[in-house]
Formats: sequence, structure tokens, C-alpha cells
Amino acid sequence: MELAWYALLGLFFASYFVLGGLDYGVGLLLARGGTPAARRDALTALGPFFLGNEVWLVAAVGILFGAFPTLEGELLSGYYPAVVGALAGVILVTAGVQLRSRPATAGARAGWDRVVVVGSLLAALGWGALLGGLLQGLPLTADGHVTGVGHLFTPFVAAAGLAMAALVALHGATFLTLRLPPAAGAATARLARRLVPVALAAVGTATVVGLLSDRVRAAAQQPVAAVLLPSALVAALLVARAALARRRPGWAFAATCAALALPVLLVGAARWPYALVSGTDPAAGLTVADAAASTPTLRLLGWLVLPLVPALLGFQAMCWWVFRGRIDGRAPVYW
Amino acid sequence: MDTLLLARLQFATTTSIHFLFVVVTLGLVTLLVGLQTAWFLTGNPKWERLTRFWGQLYVINYVLGIASGIVMEFQFGLNWSGLSRYVGNVFGAPLAIETLVAFFLESTFLGMWIFGWHRLRRGVHLALLCGVALTAYASAFWIMVANAWLQHPVGYQVRDGIAHLTDFSALLTNPTLGMAFGHVVAASLLTGGMLMAAVSAGHLLRRTPDFLLFRTSLRIGLVVSALSISLVQGFGFAQFGPVGQVQPAKFGGGPERDAQIAEWTAQFGPGDYTPPTLASVGLGFMILIGFGLGCLWLLLPLLWRDLIIRWRFPLWLLLLALPLPFGTVILGWLAREVGRQPWVAYGLLPTERAVSAVPAGVMLASLIGFSLLLGALAVTNWVLLARAAARGAADPALGRPPAPEADDTPRQPVLA
Ligand code: HDD
Ligand code: HEM
Ligand code: HEM
Repeated sequence: MELAWYALLGLFFASYFVLGGLDYGVGLLLARGGTPAARRDALTALGPFFLGNEVWLVAAVGILFGAFPTLEGELLSGYYPAVVGALAGVILVTAGVQLRSRPATAGARAGWDRVVVVGSLLAALGWGALLGGLLQGLPLTADGHVTGVGHLFTPFVAAAGLAMAALVALHGATFLTLRLPPAAGAATARLARRLVPVALAAVGTATVVGLLSDRVRAAAQQPVAAVLLPSALVAALLVARAALARRRPGWAFAATCAALALPVLLVGAARWPYALVSGTDPAAGLTVADAAASTPTLRLLGWLVLPLVPALLGFQAMCWWVFRGRIDGRAPVYW
Repeated sequence: MDTLLLARLQFATTTSIHFLFVVVTLGLVTLLVGLQTAWFLTGNPKWERLTRFWGQLYVINYVLGIASGIVMEFQFGLNWSGLSRYVGNVFGAPLAIETLVAFFLESTFLGMWIFGWHRLRRGVHLALLCGVALTAYASAFWIMVANAWLQHPVGYQVRDGIAHLTDFSALLTNPTLGMAFGHVVAASLLTGGMLMAAVSAGHLLRRTPDFLLFRTSLRIGLVVSALSISLVQGFGFAQFGPVGQVQPAKFGGGPERDAQIAEWTAQFGPGDYTPPTLASVGLGFMILIGFGLGCLWLLLPLLWRDLIIRWRFPLWLLLLALPLPFGTVILGWLAREVGRQPWVAYGLLPTERAVSAVPAGVMLASLIGFSLLLGALAVTNWVLLARAAARGAADPALGRPPAPEADDTPRQPVLA
């Protein structure tokens, strides 16, 4: 039963990185400047999906709290700076995107767009650092607590943060390639093709730094997964490049979606059966089974989740279906 | 300063900000359902314009509800990891249910409602708003289930120092839940109604165009707030019964309080088990303002022949009274939450055992950072709200018809 809940938790976090990654990717790309109309088009392309994308984070943390309470407490407080950074970013993006078009002046809108850029960067760096921190383990003491935050400041965590930022930017560009009107889409396709090597370099650097780090090597419980999944990530990026070159933006987008989901799978699989790996005292690690809520709680939530998750997915799918296709002059504009 | 105090301050600041926005969300969304239903049934464009204008204000307000809500959700894990460790098996369940049953659908529906004007059929569009309203009420309900459990833990059993769920239905029949939920919902309707009345009063005072539109919303807002203040008072007094029974140490003294404190001293060792007086102060002022707002009923007869508009000074009263419900909800929460001290879960988990082992410096940085961030965003949001309200109902961005433009490029399949 714990495995099923762990998988569900992974599914929600992976969906959040894929969908929230769109928001932050589009947000990061606002940094290119461009005309006010171009920036507005980018946000219009995102428009109807934005709220539905962000809420995956809220739901993922809800599942974390309900089904893995012990993990929730130690995870969030143990990686305090990364989580706070990501959280600040999420808030800035949430407020910036939704409020940027309320003032009428171009100057105020440009200011809000900068807020969105900073927020997107913070969110991507923060979540990347959290994933990196999970892969590197943390100093859990025998009573299961983490003290201090210094353990987070390593080259690997920094590299992981940067890799996430690069992945997210590429993801945003492939999304815009799909959604913008053909002419503007072609321009973002060129940008996306230039971003693929950047993402490859960033992911490659993080992998190499990780392989060189004793802590990361020691934290990997399943070496096969720890090697295979980064390779799959690189493969996804290569697929994206090939698809962009052949003008198949749909496939390129599917590939970058995979690239954002894979890190979650990597973090879950490489450390199995642990939910938190202790770098100081291997026996102090928190296993998934120990982290889970007790059986009555899981059973109660299970009865709820079984019928609910299909409904949740159905309504999200409805949203994507209603607003599918490229935007045009008749697309609803709000932010 | 120690980590515990900083964590408490941070919780108090961020929840207060959160509540100032969700109280409007809950109230306005109810009124919006009424407005859009009237449009759907009558087809009268007046109702469409009212829906767009108030909907625009609702959506702007919503932004900070989400932003501060996300901080709230993370704060449990960031600052109160002991809460999830010792009582997470029970307390986590309603929160998980809330996110899945309420927030997930609420955000999805709201996105479709905002962008669905002129694109979805009118019935579907109205159904989406009803979905937003239902899920907003569901979220208020489940968060109150969680909060009521902290006020009066039930349906659990402690094994190895950790609480395990034994009876979920006890959480739903918690004596500290029912009347409190009614009180919160009524307070939200009161706030939403007073906001609607005050903004309309502002337009009528400035004699802006759209007299008829704002006359209608003034009447709706006033009637709704008068009805809800009575509900607020009713549910409010009804809370004293259960609170006095299960939390004898909360307000005031008496033998029950002494007995309770003697029991705790025997069980947890000597300590200060009386809550800060701030709780009773909050309670007193809330009740005072609550009685004062009862005067809303006196304004109702003035709706006859629009006396309320022609005399003008009642409009000023409505405008000036607008901060009252906002201040009062904070007072009420201070009474409820500070009165629970020194417990996170009443009589079960002391507050100091729930706080995370985070260095005080880090906690201070996070307190300052989040207070400044949310505070600045809250003020900005209110400025934008006030501007949007002052701009009037001429052409809100929400629901603006798309530019007429021929669209004959065929849609391409995505995976081609
Ligand atoms: C517009 C807002 C408003 C107004 C006018 C009132 N209240 Fe209130 N009150 C709240 C808004 C509120 C609140 C913010 O919504 C609280 C906080 C927690 C809760 O359940 O509701 C609250 C809490 C609260 C509590 C604390 C319950 C506890 O400690 O568990 C009591 C006893 C009352 N109220 C009683 C009253 C009475 C007797 C009122 C007037 C005659 C009154 N309230 C007016
Ligand atoms: C309904 C959901 C709520 C839950 C689950 C909740 C839970 C908590 C928790 C865990 C704490 C920290 C521990 C403690 O100090 O006891 C706290 C403190 C506090 N909360 Fe709430 N809270 C809720 C709503 C609110 C709201 C809406 C307000 C608005 C003003 C509020 C005001 C406070 C204050 C002032 C404190 C600090 C009390 C003190 O430490 O003296 N709470 N609450
Ligand atoms: C301290 C506990 C609380 C937590 C952890 C919390 C959490 C959240 C979160 C994460 C959101 C954003 C959801 C989204 O993305 O759509 C939110 C919004 C909301 N909250 Fe809270 N909340 C708390 C207290 C309260 C209280 C006391 C109420 C009312 C009684 C309330 C009512 C709402 C409503 C109605 C919304 C949706 C509307 C909006 O975003 O403005 N919350 N909350």
C-alpha cells in the first residue's frame, strides 16, 4: 500500500514539474524582452491552463501531508532554504502572472513581467536544488531530525538547480512553439533548438558533479536506476532536438514533458526504499514504509482518491481540450 | 528571540493575511452565483454587466488568496514539523482531502470560467462558477475540520507517542466544528455583502454613470449583509456552549478552569497553562463590533424610495464601515487561536514540541521575508482592487468579447 501511495505522490510531483514547468518556462522566456504584444501573447498562450497547472503543487503537498506526514515535516524543514526559495518564486509567479495586466500602463506591466521572470527563476532553481538535495542525502540524526541547513550548499545542489532552470526554459519554448500563431511559433522553435544544447550541458554537468561527489554516490541505493534515468533524460533531450529540426513541435513538446517528469522518477527510484537518505548515519534514513501514515489513514484516503483522481484528471483534460490548438486573434485574453 | 516565538508570529501574520482575502472570496463567490444565475435565467444584459464587474474584483482578490494559501500549506512542514510527526496521521487527513476535493477542482474550474466567456455555452459557464463556489465552501469546511481538531482532538488513539486515527466520523461531529463553520461562512457573507454595498455606495456618491447598476448591487449587498449579521451573531453565541465545555481554560476563570489546569499539571508537569489575555481582548472587541454592525438592519427601511441614496449620509456610513468586518475576523481568530495556547492540539501536543528544529536566524529571515513579500503583495492587490472598483462597470477586462477577426486557418493536430 505504501508503494502505491509513493507512486501517486510521484505522479503528482511529476505532473507539477511538467505543468508548473510550463508556467516557469514561459515566465523565464519573458526575460527576452520583446514587444509588449509578444509578451502578452506568451501569457495568453498559457492563460487558461495557468491556474490548473499551479494547483498540482498544492495537491502534491496535500498528498504528502496526508499520506506521508513524517516525510512532510522532515523534508520541508530539512531542506529549508531550497523550499523557501522555491516557495517565494511560486508566489511571485502566481501573483505576477495574474496581476500584470490589471494596471493599464506599459511601464507597470513591464515591471510585473520582471517579477514573473525573477519568480520563475527562483522557482526553477529552488525545485532543482531540492531534487539535488534529495539525491545527495542529508544529515539525519538517530532520532530522525535534521539540524542546520549548511548541508545543502554543495556544487551538486547548485548544478541541479541550474539544470532545472535550463530544462524549464526549453520546456517553455517548445510549448510556445506549439501554441503561438505560426510565425511567432517558428521564432520560438529556433530559440528552442538553441536551448537544447544548453539543457544538455547543464544536465551533463549535474550528472558529472554528482558522480564525483561521495555523498551523492553513497546516497544512491539503486545504482542501475541512478545511471539509467539520467541517460533517459539525455535521450529525451535528443529526441526533442530531432523533432524540432523536423518541425514536429508536438513530439518535441512530448519529449520535454518527459524530461521534466524523469527527475522525479530518478529521485524516487534511485533512493528506494528510502524516502530520506541519511548521510551521517545510514541506519537513520527514513524508509518509505516508515514515512507513510498509519493504515487507517491511508485506507480512508484511499477510498477518497480512487474515485476522485479520475475526476480530477478528467476536468484538467477538459480544460486542455476546450482551449486546445494555436492561439489566434479570437483567443480569450485575460492576463 | 527563540525559534518558537518566531514561528508563531509567522503563522499569525501569514494566516491573517490569508484570511483577509479568503473571507472576501467566500462571500463574493456566493453573490456572483446569484448574479450569473439571474443573467442565465432572464438574459437581461444588466446581470451580465454586474457579473463581469464583480467577477473582475473577485478574480483580483483571489490572486492573494492563492498566493498566501500556498505559504500556509508549506508552513506546516517548514516550521511545524512536530505537528506532522506527532499528529499528522489524523490532522493530515482533512488537509489532504481539502486539497484534492476542493483546491484542485476550484483552480481548474476558475481558470475555465475566466477564459470561458464567449467560448463555452452559457449553461456550462454558469456550472463552472457554481463548481468554484461549491469547492470554495468545501475548502472552508475541511480546513475548519482540521482547525476544530486542533481545538479539540477527537477520534484518535496515542500509540508510541504518536496519534493514530481511529474514528474519522468523530472529526466531522466535533463540537468545535459546526457552529464555528456556520460563524465563518456567515462572517464571509457579511464581508462580501458589505464590500458590495460599500463599492456601490462609492459610485453612487460620486454620481458615476451606471446609476441603475450600482443601485441594484447596493440593494443586494445591503440585504445580504443585514441577513448575515444576524446569522453571525447567532452562530457566534452558539459557540460559547461547546467552547466552554471542551476548552474550560480559554475564556474566563471558574472552577472548571482550575480543575483543567490541575489535570494538565499532573499529566505534563508544572507550567503556565493559562492562555494570553489577548484572546479575551479579541473576543470582547469582536462582540462589541458584532453588536454595532447589527445597525445594518436600520438601513434597510431606507431602501424605500431610494432614501438611502438621496440622503447620501447612509452611503458614507457604509463606505466608512467597510474596514470593520475585516478587522473583526482577525479579532475572532485571535480569540480562537491564541485562546488555544499553550497547545497546538488542545491538551495533547504542547506548542513548543511542534516547532521545527530550524536555527532561529533562519526562522527570523523567513518571518521577515514572507511578511514583507505577502504584505507588499497584499497592499498592491488592494490598490489594484480599489482602482478596478473605481473604474466602474464600463468595460472590465473579464469577459471582454474577443476582437472580431476572421479565423479560417485550419487547426493542426498536435502530434503530427
Ligand atoms: C465579521 C466578523 C465577525 C463578527 C461580526 C463576529 N465574529 Fe465571532 N468570529 C469571527 C468573526 C466574527 C471569525 C473570524 O470568523 C471567528 C474566528 C474563528 C471562528 O470560528 O470564527 C470568530 C470566533 C468567535 C468565537 C471563538 C470561538 C472559539 O474560540 O473557538 C466566539 C465565541 C465568537 N466568535 C462569538 C461572536 C459573537 C458573540 C459575536 C457578536 C455578537 C461575534 N462573534 C461577531
Ligand atoms: C483554519 C485553519 C487554521 C489552522 C489549521 C491553524 C493552525 C495553527 C497552528 C498550527 C498554529 C501554530 C501553533 C500555535 O501557535 O498554536 C497557529 C497559530 C496561530 N493562528 Fe492559526 N490556524 C488556522 C487558522 C487561523 C486563521 C485564519 C487565523 C487568522 C487570524 C489564525 C491565527 C493564528 C494566530 C494569531 C496564531 C498564533 C497564536 C499564538 O501562538 O499565540 N489561525 N494556528
Ligand atoms: C492555516 C490553514 C490554512 C491552509 C494551510 C490553507 C491553505 C490554502 C491554500 C493552499 C490555498 C490555495 C488553493 C489554490 O491554489 O486554489 C487556499 C485558498 C483558500 N483558502 Fe485557505 N488555508 C488555510 C486557512 C483557511 C481558512 C481558515 C479558510 C476559511 C475558513 C480558508 C479558506 C480558503 C478558501 C475559500 C480558499 C480558496 C479561495 C482563495 O484562494 O481565495 N483557508 N488555502
